[in-house]
Amino acid sequence: MSRYFYYHVLYVGLINIMIFVPWTLFQNRFHGAVSAMAIAIVIGTIMAWTTTSLFLRFPEMALSDIVKAYFPRGIALIVNVIGAIIWGFAGILVVYAYSSTIQQFFNPDMNPYLFLLLMTAAGVWGATRCSRTIQFAHEVLMLLCTPLILMILFKAIFSPWLDWDAIRVSLGYVRTRPSLNSLSAALFVFAGYNTLVIFNRLIPANTKIRQRWIIPVFCSFFLFVSFFIPIGFHGTVGVADYLYVWSITSDSMIMQYGFVYRVLYVFLLLYTALSLMFTMNTWHTAMEFIKACHPRYTPQPDQYPVKAVNWWITISFAVLTFAYAAWANDQRNQLTYQSWLIVRSISEVVVLLILVWCFFVSRRKRRSSIRQQTAAQNS
Amino acid sequence: MLETIKRQFENVTDLLTETVDNGFWPMEIAYFPSLCDERIKDGLLVPYSYRFDPDEFRRMLRSNPKYVEAEDPKQWANLLLKGFVLLKVEGKCYSFKSDRTLVTEPGTTEVESAVLGPQSAFTEDITMNMALLRLRYNVPTLTAEPYDKGSYSNTSIMVLYDRELVNPVILNMLRDKLDRIRLDLLLASSSLVKELTDRNHRLFPTILQTERPDRVAVMLRKGKIVIIINGSRFALILPVRLFDFMHAMDDEYDSYWINRFLNVMRYVGIWMTIILPASYIAIVSYNPEIFRVQLAFTIDGSRAGVPYPSFVEVFVMLFMIEALIEASIRLPRIVGSTATTVGGLILGQAAQQAGLVSSIMIIITSVVAISNFVIPNPDFSQAVRLMKYPFVVIAMLYGISGVVVLFFALMVYLCNLRSFGEPYFALFLPRSHDLPNQGTKLGKG
Repeated sequence: MSRYFYYHVLYVGLINIMIFVPWTLFQNRFHGAVSAMAIAIVIGTIMAWTTTSLFLRFPEMALSDIVKAYFPRGIALIVNVIGAIIWGFAGILVVYAYSSTIQQFFNPDMNPYLFLLLMTAAGVWGATRCSRTIQFAHEVLMLLCTPLILMILFKAIFSPWLDWDAIRVSLGYVRTRPSLNSLSAALFVFAGYNTLVIFNRLIPANTKIRQRWIIPVFCSFFLFVSFFIPIGFHGTVGVADYLYVWSITSDSMIMQYGFVYRVLYVFLLLYTALSLMFTMNTWHTAMEFIKACHPRYTPQPDQYPVKAVNWWITISFAVLTFAYAAWANDQRNQLTYQSWLIVRSISEVVVLLILVWCFFVSRRKRRSSIRQQTAAQNS
Repeated sequence: MLETIKRQFENVTDLLTETVDNGFWPMEIAYFPSLCDERIKDGLLVPYSYRFDPDEFRRMLRSNPKYVEAEDPKQWANLLLKGFVLLKVEGKCYSFKSDRTLVTEPGTTEVESAVLGPQSAFTEDITMNMALLRLRYNVPTLTAEPYDKGSYSNTSIMVLYDRELVNPVILNMLRDKLDRIRLDLLLASSSLVKELTDRNHRLFPTILQTERPDRVAVMLRKGKIVIIINGSRFALILPVRLFDFMHAMDDEYDSYWINRFLNVMRYVGIWMTIILPASYIAIVSYNPEIFRVQLAFTIDGSRAGVPYPSFVEVFVMLFMIEALIEASIRLPRIVGSTATTVGGLILGQAAQQAGLVSSIMIIITSVVAISNFVIPNPDFSQAVRLMKYPFVVIAMLYGISGVVVLFFALMVYLCNLRSFGEPYFALFLPRSHDLPNQGTKLGKG
């Protein structure tokens, strides 16, 4: 069912704010952020298209299952471990970023670890569920979030305080050379299709993912919104003053009718849901990668009740989150985010290459088997 | 025959065992008069006594479908207890079905009433219920499998399904579970529900209980499996989804837009009843800055006289309303109105004037109670009634962000549930009656 695929594309596109994509882009806004975005749209679309098509050639198989079938065991193990690290880290980073946001804007008096505990507990609870449950939950939560997303977007785009001149000015820097940092940051917005590394298990054979124009159109839209709207509100220079740019931006808007006055609160509640969805998904993916390291592991995308090992793996992610929170400060945090973004972009290319290789091997095998069959029939 | 029976039913005085003689043939007869009805007179005693003709009597024994040969002594006790008459003539044993039917008319709906729909409901008699159902679902493919469950109550139950629409995987799963059930007394449908669900500590019901034959017919058409139990007014339907619990039978009969409107209203109601008390605590004690200033002042002003924190207030009011609901269910109907009047007065006026709770809290309490009753299914309504307490607790600890996180966890929990292997809370599954034969494919969303 292709609609589940698009939920992943959409919320990963939206979560970029929590992974400091806009902040990274703003740091490079005079040094190639806009050109990086333009390039990212092209590269991201092509990568999404080819990777998705390749995954559909291996129905009901996750990346770990594919690698297990076509590579020696050692390489498969390495791929699983690297996958688990990258995906597990994604959840850790988002949970940390979100709870520090909440600490800044919602509960400044509260012990930061207390809220982190709540977030990790919810993330662990979500991630331990089976893959199909997570898909259903994505759908429900996306539908609940949609009105809030639309409201904030419309509020922002049609706000009289949005300075279109500033946006035009920053657009003018399109010809500067992009840096790897800004390119990998912009590419993240298109990363939603990567969830197929696990969720491809739930896509049965002969499914076609139609309407793939959704990926470039929506993801470019999210990318433009998360970059240009803060610039329109704060100006080309002022936008780099803030670390939590989007929280400040949403606080620049008010709702005149209704119980809640400041859009900030709607924004924060929306991103509670989105961050938890993202954490649930990434930790689940990392967990599945780790489970696939076991030689006799058989994937069970629809399992109820779940096994105890799920709990142990995800709880260890939660513990790592606490360790990260204890280690991180704002500088270290920025560095981690940027390196993670770069590593992630590289891993995306690696996954693509693995899939291409597996695809050709599988085709050659099929051909030779057909040839053998026809030879057997002829003799 | 009589010796064997007497040995099995020692000291059972209400069992009638006798050897009668009409001058031609002696006949041994045994039955429980309390379990049998008047049909025994026309069906057995009249032909045997003053209208006796040996040839005709033999013909009757052979041709009347109510007479069945019962040569197996192991069956005798069971037959007698089910209301059969056992007789022995000419060295052969027969059973004669003459069980008393206590109910001859369909019941009226009490729990799930509908405005425009039929008012008849299931009764406590299984044959009457079968009749009600066969009338509404009148096709030859409706299949019934009889079972006897409960080692002491020996309750007869029927598993019903449309054999062309049913999912065979689920049916086999149900048969397995029914075979594994060990139960002493099966007295109500709810105890079968408990046995059929994997875990007893489950918050939300995953098997639907209904008293409406029309709902059962609609569900059978969707390929669901129905279990009816002798002695219970409720039929069980499985597998079900959350949306089936939020479905009132009026939805089938109302016009399209009314139906949509009411459905939306029900979901808003369920959301309010879960969220409102928690968000009151969160707003008052944690994040008053969320609301616009005027509103925050209004709420705070109404709380000016209240001497304790908001969560105490919420617990006081929620306890009162829960006690009121519970009392009005258990009280005899004559006293019931008194309780509601007294309770309503206390909740509505006195508590607020005494400065114990704020007036906003009274509004919230009544909204919570009323919107809880909007849920059409009593089982689900109870589950939702309980759900607000975890939210209250999390709001005490974390404020509004805790409420949102718990809401997320609740959604995941609901998505996590399975009703007989079928997803419980998945949106937009293909409608079963669009599919000719819904195999296991339905689950693959």
